[in-house]
Amino acid sequence: MKELPEILKTLYDAQVDFVVIGGAAMHLQGSAYVTKDVDFCYARTPQNIKRLTVALKPYHPVLRGAPAGLPFTFDARTVTQGMNFTLSTDLGDLDFLGEVAGLGAFEQVKAAADMQIIDGMEIAVLSLVGLIKSKKAAGRPRDLYVLPELEGLEQLKRKTGAK
Amino acid sequence: MKKSMTPKQRKLAHELITNPPPGSKLAAAKEWGVDLTLLYANLLRTPTERARSFASMTRPFDNLRSREKKTAQG
Repeated sequence: MKELPEILKTLYDAQVDFVVIGGAAMHLQGSAYVTKDVDFCYARTPQNIKRLTVALKPYHPVLRGAPAGLPFTFDARTVTQGMNFTLSTDLGDLDFLGEVAGLGAFEQVKAAADMQIIDGMEIAVLSLVGLIKSKKAAGRPRDLYVLPELEGLEQLKRKTGAK
Repeated sequence: MKKSMTPKQRKLAHELITNPPPGSKLAAAKEWGVDLTLLYANLLRTPTERARSFASMTRPFDNLRSREKKTAQG
């Protein structure tokens, strides 16, 4: 996997409208949770879908876990017809979701995000409150397992005003 | 490098992780097994520092995956 700032820069430079969600958002918010992929929620406007597919094309995106030889092109047509994509790319494993459980579509996810300055870029990162809401809604054991840490961290940041 | 917390914030955060108020979410996290000192250490980092540390934490997964690939290929 490439460095996270490099992955973010690829999308940022292409002016893709996205929010960092999932384990990477937890890490950026201060959690000790470790994950091996980076999850994003992306705006499903035609312009944004075009920007996203063009930005990722040089990194050879393929569907993660798909049988070898399965025809797949990560282009505007494919993304428009689908919603959520779990990709292996030369940047690493990247997941792009059109909506997030407990929050809704991109607009709601973005409204629940904090803006963080990362390597000089202003990046939308799902807030701890948003992460807690989405984990509760997803309700899988692995989501519920991290709730005590997220809730403790949220309280710590709220009481201290730490970013 | 810009600091992520002021000395006052650091002091308060340290007090809270050392002695979480009974019945609080922090106390529940500690009871659950969360190492609160790791959260404190992460909050001392700026978002950029956290972003830069992300890949180094995932590297063991990458190494394991390449090893699995090589084994599968015989």
